[in-house]
Amino acid sequence: MATDATPHAPSRPTSDAPARTAARPAPQPAELGLGRLYLRRFVRNRPAVAGVVIFLLLVLFSAFGGRFTSYAYTDADFTALTRPPGAAHWFGTNQGGDDIYACAVHGLQRSLVIAVSVSVLTIVVAALVGAGAAYAGGRVERATLALVHFLLIVPSFLVLALVSHRLAGDWRVLIVVLTVFGWMPTARVIWSVSTSLRERDYVTAARFMGVGPLRIVLRHIIPNLGSLLIVNLTLGVVTTVLSETALSFLGFGVQTPDVSLGTMLADGAGTVTSAPWLFAFPAGLVVLLTVSMTLIGDGLRDALDPTSVTGSAGGRR
Amino acid sequence: MVRSVLRKAAGWVLMIVVATNATFFLASWFLDPRSNFRELRPVRSEAQIDQALAPYGLDPRVPVVHRWWDWLTSVVLHFDWGKSPTGVPVNGEVGYRALVSAELVLVATILSVVVGVALGVYTAARQYGFADRISQAVSIAVLNVPTSVAALAVVFVAIWLNQHAGLRFLYVAGENSPDVTGTLPVIGDRLLHLILPTLTLTLMGYVGYHLTQRSLLLDTLDADFVRTARATGLTCGQAIRRHALRAALIPTAASVAFGIPAIFTGAVITETVFGWNGMGRYFIQTIAKNDVHGAVATAAFAAALTAIGAILADIATVFLDPRVRVS
Repeated sequence: MATDATPHAPSRPTSDAPARTAARPAPQPAELGLGRLYLRRFVRNRPAVAGVVIFLLLVLFSAFGGRFTSYAYTDADFTALTRPPGAAHWFGTNQGGDDIYACAVHGLQRSLVIAVSVSVLTIVVAALVGAGAAYAGGRVERATLALVHFLLIVPSFLVLALVSHRLAGDWRVLIVVLTVFGWMPTARVIWSVSTSLRERDYVTAARFMGVGPLRIVLRHIIPNLGSLLIVNLTLGVVTTVLSETALSFLGFGVQTPDVSLGTMLADGAGTVTSAPWLFAFPAGLVVLLTVSMTLIGDGLRDALDPTSVTGSAGGRR
Repeated sequence: MVRSVLRKAAGWVLMIVVATNATFFLASWFLDPRSNFRELRPVRSEAQIDQALAPYGLDPRVPVVHRWWDWLTSVVLHFDWGKSPTGVPVNGEVGYRALVSAELVLVATILSVVVGVALGVYTAARQYGFADRISQAVSIAVLNVPTSVAALAVVFVAIWLNQHAGLRFLYVAGENSPDVTGTLPVIGDRLLHLILPTLTLTLMGYVGYHLTQRSLLLDTLDADFVRTARATGLTCGQAIRRHALRAALIPTAASVAFGIPAIFTGAVITETVFGWNGMGRYFIQTIAKNDVHGAVATAAFAAALTAIGAILADIATVFLDPRVRVS
């Protein structure tokens, strides 16, 4: 990452640099550190900043939202069944008398933990397999690609549902299952980018210096995929939230005593018109979560991409 | 050229065969038909349960390779996809449902591609214009909505329309009305039931095509051959349609194949929400009832749809891309 991107920050032979410093004398662009440069380009992107704010609010809500209500998500209030939102129950209650506010806090927490950990694990596996296959080449590469393609043909969702029906219920198992069957699309993208990286001179140089294959993959190829990995990490959160919601909605994901946004959606599905609040609150939270992560991912892509025009706002840095 | 398409088609068929067989093993390992019988009263012994499953080729005492071979031979020789743990033939269940679902998935795919590509072309030609920004925002929002939320939102709007605007043709449950008779009314009735699920799936599917087609076309709009086309006197629209779009459609055509599994996944949820008795809902039921053969038949159906899409995509690529025709 650093080896690839630093040279053009301090010492680019800039033909237009004098003109620009003349126009804006205050900050010397040449002295900008890499982190500051990325931060500045990211902050310039208003939707991305909005995404960060929404995401942080959601995290705070899931972490501390439970302090503001006296109900827990497991408590049933039998004096208030299917009540619309009001003073006692801010988001209303469901047919069993569960407080929707408490459920939403817990469900969001559950979905967030699952989404973030699955997407981190997925990226790690995908980077190792994708870059490893690209570097190894030959038979290993072909076998890996065959496996990846196989899981692109059979909808991986079917396999997920098949496997998680037996194993899941526990959210920790769900994390493992979602990771095991979710790394293929990312691995394919990483593989296709790595095939060009493996031809680079520094990889050849490392190989001629006697560096082992594992070390080349870990120290020379994967760091140069940095921006791709970071962007895919944020977008992976979106994908995971969507598939976790779908699985839990169908009853194959998180199971009943536990609550996630997907199970809340399933609860509200039957009463869309008679009790819309059961459905509206989890739906709103899911959409806020995925939209904020997408905005962050797009902002990061623009900020980290040295050739991006949108991130650099028409030539400015 | 024909030979290259045939060779690719053969490759896809091989992939379906491998994928279906792999799913058989997965389903055999992860679904346990015995658990259906354990809840029955009077309580059966394990041996009795195994005995009851034996005629359907689901006896867990038989090695899985043996069961697989019996299943494979009956599929290949008689096109018999086996029986459920309660003895219901899978073929009878699947035949009708496959038609219903194939109709849903194919119509939704075609509509998604047409709407998505048209919108992509329209907005790419007006980059950063008003229409572009609005549709971009809408598409990014829709891209992030789970299918279940979208389907329920469609149900909500449809019921609201039915109640307030006095419409009576938006059906939110089932794939046909039971009391309709006669050929033409039945077809009309089915089409009316098709509206909302197809709308939902199209909504979920068009977004990808819109966003990718827009960026692909934006890349080609700057290419030399498009500028040359403009220089020969073509209008902007003609240059886009005849030259830029043709080049930019190639990756889209290739991606349709991999879009079908996503649409099928969407169909699983859409059919559940709309109460359709299609393959998607059948899949949920088979998994819940530990029906190994039914689940495998669904996976085979999904893989076959993907392969059909992929072969059509290959043919489209041949028409669009002269480089493929030459080599």
